[in-house]
Amino acid sequence: MKKNLIRLTVFLLCALLALNLFLPDGAKPFSLFLPRVSPLLSFAGALGARRFAGWLCLFGVPLLLLAFFKQRWFCWHVCPMGFAAEMVGKLNKRGAGHIRRVPSLNKALALLVVGSAVAGYPVFLWLDPLCIFNGFFAALRKPFLWMSCATAAGFLLILLASVAAPNIWCHRLCPLGGLQELVGMPWKRFKSRKTAQKAVSDNASPLDAHASRRLFLGILGSGVAGAGARFALGAGKPAVLRPPGAVKLSFNALCARCGNCMRACPYGLLVPDLGKSGIDGLCTPVVAFRHLDPYQEQYCFQDCKACTEVCPTGALAPLTVEQKHERPLGIAVVDRAKCVAWAEKQYCVVCQEYCPYQAVREVERNGVMCPEIDAAKCRGCGACESACPADPIAIIVNPLPQK
Amino acid sequence: MEMQRREFIKAAVAAGAVPVLAAEGGKQATVVVVHGKDLVKMLNLGVAKLGGWGAFIHKGDKVAIKPNVAWYSTPAQGANTAPELVRECVLQAEKAGAEKIDIPENPCAPEKKAFPQSGVQDALKGTKARLFRPNARDGYRAVDVPKGKVCKTAEVPNEILDADCLINMPVAKHHGGATLSLSMKNWMGSVSNKTRRGWHRDGLHQCIADFSTFLKPKLVVIDASRIMLDHGPQGPGTLAYPDEIILSTDPVAADAYAATLFKHKPFDIGYIKIGHEMGIGCGDLSKVNVVRIEA
Repeated sequence: MKKNLIRLTVFLLCALLALNLFLPDGAKPFSLFLPRVSPLLSFAGALGARRFAGWLCLFGVPLLLLAFFKQRWFCWHVCPMGFAAEMVGKLNKRGAGHIRRVPSLNKALALLVVGSAVAGYPVFLWLDPLCIFNGFFAALRKPFLWMSCATAAGFLLILLASVAAPNIWCHRLCPLGGLQELVGMPWKRFKSRKTAQKAVSDNASPLDAHASRRLFLGILGSGVAGAGARFALGAGKPAVLRPPGAVKLSFNALCARCGNCMRACPYGLLVPDLGKSGIDGLCTPVVAFRHLDPYQEQYCFQDCKACTEVCPTGALAPLTVEQKHERPLGIAVVDRAKCVAWAEKQYCVVCQEYCPYQAVREVERNGVMCPEIDAAKCRGCGACESACPADPIAIIVNPLPQK
Repeated sequence: MEMQRREFIKAAVAAGAVPVLAAEGGKQATVVVVHGKDLVKMLNLGVAKLGGWGAFIHKGDKVAIKPNVAWYSTPAQGANTAPELVRECVLQAEKAGAEKIDIPENPCAPEKKAFPQSGVQDALKGTKARLFRPNARDGYRAVDVPKGKVCKTAEVPNEILDADCLINMPVAKHHGGATLSLSMKNWMGSVSNKTRRGWHRDGLHQCIADFSTFLKPKLVVIDASRIMLDHGPQGPGTLAYPDEIILSTDPVAADAYAATLFKHKPFDIGYIKIGHEMGIGCGDLSKVNVVRIEA
């Protein structure tokens, strides 16, 4: 009873903090840090992105240490996702035994995530429970968008599954749980061997050999799986507009769908992709201009790098302002048939006005100035697209062709 | 404050600041051009020449000021009105007993970036002036522009429409679409996005002039302390330093004079020519009384 009281408190605290109710406007919500607490996310992310994500990686260390000595203590005492799943599972009084027929995939999934991360393409990284919990609250960002509720889907799916088959998530699927079991194995065995040595003589070594072989094969297999996935899924993707700092080939894998970047964007430009970047790109962030209000002039502001600062996995590389100025999101293209300057000889060039990079050249045609894009300067920030007065709009940022 | 006022009076006496209210010698308009380095002093001298602050702002007035604070750009880069000018105008309005001082601005860059970077937000600290972006839902009122040829209605910030004293305080600079951004063009940073997009589609110069048949500022102060010669209106561009501010009650005359700083003939700028022809003011500088003051 007392244990559940603590878990409830943790759950409510995490939820309240994730809702950002207490923080002043502009402060980073707690949810931006929550996914990093998971070593699965922070370390497999850093491994997969081939980038040490700085001291923020260290957020994952305490849980790793805890797991080494106490195995899944975190799961049964703290995890807010686990608590929610277990509690809704209690609604189904007759379902307690349903999971007996489901094989335990926790450790296999954890191995798959870590092994494929080593290969540079972490599959199922987005199954991290803290990330899924976080994604639910990230959907409640400002300005609210129905579309961004997609990031809440994982949380709701786990709850639904838990009602149908209680404990299926924690006991059978959760890769963070699996990781903790794996990490806790040596210490547990060491302890049990000590007690076993006292009782019987030596009985554990054949079992040990099996376990180590399974582990070795598991890592090898998931490495191969990661490399295969990278080969099969990474290349030949339809190009979409990604947030600044997005890694190129492995974005769909590295993105944990935590929703942090979408929530961090002060201009509401990031929305979950609902299919444009392929089935494995569901719920990854894409850039959209003019989707909130066609009259709102909002673009990827030149000196803003908010989204790159909150990515827990390195799918978005942290950028300096100077680096951001160098990295194009896409490239603007003028449709001369729709442009009021080109087609109707109007004095306009609002695109030239708004462009922060001076990438719109003015050329004189028929006595009026008409816009032309200087591809070398364009950063695809969308200032032009968001302000274009033509109807239908005459300047659009296209994704960069993938190399 | 006390020191400033004393200095100002001294300077005013030195410059012989006798008000020139009516246009003299058959001229149709007066433009006061103040040359100098100290914008605060220049502004007060110029206003004194036009009759003093009392001629424009009365006790209890609702004052609205329209500087240009549209861009994420520092004061030195010349894309926005100099913060000292805005601040002094606000202080003088406070001194004259203004009940309310509003600075509604619909910037092009995000306001949270443009307002601080322009220096204007900080310059207004400690004053009762309010610099803000009007709310798209209820910050604007649609008004008819009866004399407009193309622009027949416009959405204008409530505070601009309700002002007893409206002061237009643009910065003079190059502009890709309109050639130059001066005082009449400055209203585009005031009207709603919907309205200003329509102007670009329907005929920019005519719409700018049309709107000025409707909205008449009591005073125009053009900041030409530094002027952006290219890459306007956002910049950064090449700067020139005329070290002038241009004051008038006639926006067309003020714009006509300011155009000459860019080596343009006033009537080469569409909205000045149209504004003159529509009788908004006098864009023919031979008929304008240009009073030069050294500060």
